[in-house]
Amino acid sequence: MSSVQTREVKRSARLQISRGMKTVLAGVIILYVASALLAPTSVSRVAQFGMLPFAACLAIVGLGQTLVIQQGGIDLSVAGAVSLTVVIVTWGPDRHDNRLIPAILAAFAAAIITGFINGLLITKTKLNSIVATLGVNALLYGFMMALSGGSPRRTTDRLAHITNDKIFGLPHSIYLGIICAIVVTILLKRTVFGRRFEAVGANPRAALATGLKVERYQVGGYVGAQILYCIAGVVLGGVISQPTAYQGDDYVLPSVAIVVLGGTSLLGGRGFPAASALAALFLKQLDMFVLSLGVPYGVRTLVISISLMAGIALYAVNWRSVRSKFSPKNKAGSELQPA
Amino acid sequence: MVASVISVAALTIATSVVASSSSSAAGVPSWCGPKKITMGFTDGFGGNSWRLVTTAAVREEIKLCPSVTKLYYADGQGKTDKAISDIKGMVAKGVKALVVFPDAGEAMLPALRSAYKAGVVTIPYRVWAGGTAGKDYTMWVGSDFVNSGRQWGNWIKKNLPNGGNILRISGPAGNSQGADESKGLEEVLGTTGKYKFIGTAPFEPTGWDPGKTQEVLTAAIAKYPKIDVITSDFGPSMVSALDAAAKSGWKVPAIATSDGNVLSCFYNDNKATQPDFKLMTVSTQNDHSRLATQWAVALATGGKTPKAKIFPSNLFEDSVSGKPSPVSCRKDLPGDVYLSAQMSGDLQAKLKTN
Repeated sequence: MSSVQTREVKRSARLQISRGMKTVLAGVIILYVASALLAPTSVSRVAQFGMLPFAACLAIVGLGQTLVIQQGGIDLSVAGAVSLTVVIVTWGPDRHDNRLIPAILAAFAAAIITGFINGLLITKTKLNSIVATLGVNALLYGFMMALSGGSPRRTTDRLAHITNDKIFGLPHSIYLGIICAIVVTILLKRTVFGRRFEAVGANPRAALATGLKVERYQVGGYVGAQILYCIAGVVLGGVISQPTAYQGDDYVLPSVAIVVLGGTSLLGGRGFPAASALAALFLKQLDMFVLSLGVPYGVRTLVISISLMAGIALYAVNWRSVRSKFSPKNKAGSELQPA
Repeated sequence: MVASVISVAALTIATSVVASSSSSAAGVPSWCGPKKITMGFTDGFGGNSWRLVTTAAVREEIKLCPSVTKLYYADGQGKTDKAISDIKGMVAKGVKALVVFPDAGEAMLPALRSAYKAGVVTIPYRVWAGGTAGKDYTMWVGSDFVNSGRQWGNWIKKNLPNGGNILRISGPAGNSQGADESKGLEEVLGTTGKYKFIGTAPFEPTGWDPGKTQEVLTAAIAKYPKIDVITSDFGPSMVSALDAAAKSGWKVPAIATSDGNVLSCFYNDNKATQPDFKLMTVSTQNDHSRLATQWAVALATGGKTPKAKIFPSNLFEDSVSGKPSPVSCRKDLPGDVYLSAQMSGDLQAKLKTN
């Protein structure tokens, strides 16, 4: 009887909704209510169908960044990775549908190799993740330029169908975003591998002491991240009919921002992939909201920046210590201090 | 047949300016002087097919002039700091002539000035970088974007005489091209009182990025139930957004923009089902870089300078009048070729590396 009770307690702990998820969910609900009241067109069908595929891409990239941040790193090769994938899957087939699958496979191969390079640079040579991934990012751009001359081609019809065709009225790209979020969440939260992965991120030394092969998990995080960036790149290549060579540039800072908004600590450890994915929706809807408000460009940028700062401050600021500093009790105490 | 008419028309338009100063004695154009030089060409952002064709046009020009022994190319990748260091790198390489696409505008002026002071013939083109010719750079080879705006305005006035709502989109916020086009549009339509400019003034910024264009357009489509005309200086970047909106039941309005095969094909695919969709394009001006190159080479090698200092804005397609060309797509070519360019669509399709 008692053992059954213990099991139940453990299960409920696993199913517990994280603080990050609650915050982001509340943020999304408030944002949608504000959108409906202040800029109703931003929640219209056309606006949502225009925004959601991009939110899906950002969510998939954010899931990858979550894996890296869980290992205490930051991946700045997001830009190069997404851009390279977009170039490979559009420039490679060059309008020929029959060349699409080999191009996608090549993109995944490049992603896996890149993940290993990132991971090995960080684990074996002990390079700082920012330095290592920044260097790899430059390499990826160099490779992309050498390959295509910096000019992707138009999306092939088949790729456009793969990402834009609809099931139950929703484009495939949205389902892909949801599927990726579910798969990563299950992998992290429901498997032994995932629990160990989090343990390694939280405290690599302790994990090593328990006999875990720490470096494997760390390299795995970077490889997994690259695979997710690659999926996002394929989706982006399909969503945008005529992409540019630097399509990934817009994903670096937002990908870190949504991970932080989702509640994953930049110090590593527990990750909240579903919350990261939902934060991507928050960020993209915020874009759509300020666009629909019709305010000048400068004001748009300000509104987005302030919202992000407020969201990140929820985690970054130690509110308890702030409250205690301003509490009357403390003030009274400080007055009693000798001069 | 239509395609060949378009190709001939495009070639005529594109070569009218650049050929006027290209008369050659023994196959060498007059702008190519005797002095041997190396030359640099820097792009603020080189990552799309428009830039690919534009850069290839520079290479074609250089091939005509044996005095240019080497051409260096650098892509700023949309980063101002890289674009600045690219210019400094060109000076360090010892180029005698430098053509610059200063996408970042006035932020590029100090770098241009330092190249000019180092004795390099420095020709910024297309985007206004501020400063003064002869003091900060050798000369600026601009284009008449105000006239592009006027051409769009006149077409709108003719085809929507009862007025309407006009949405304007352009590249980065504050770019001089978009501002000039808006000036031209307002000059023609602003006084009539029938037309209303919707969205932020002077245009909705998109950075000429297809992803951002899609976000901006879908927001505008949702916000404004009645859009009668869209103007844009990079027509092809709108296609994915237009396509997505059309598929969700939106009626594509009249569009005045610059040409691109993907846009023409989108028009052809949709004209039967979209009665309000009329299309007018001005030439997308890939050959502007040829005129800038001719100026740079002529001044650095001692050749004869071209007559034109400004690259003109030329009408290209009109779905209503069919003049100077009807809208026609080349299904056999990629979407990202520009039939208004001097370089043939077939050759553009073969361009893959810089």
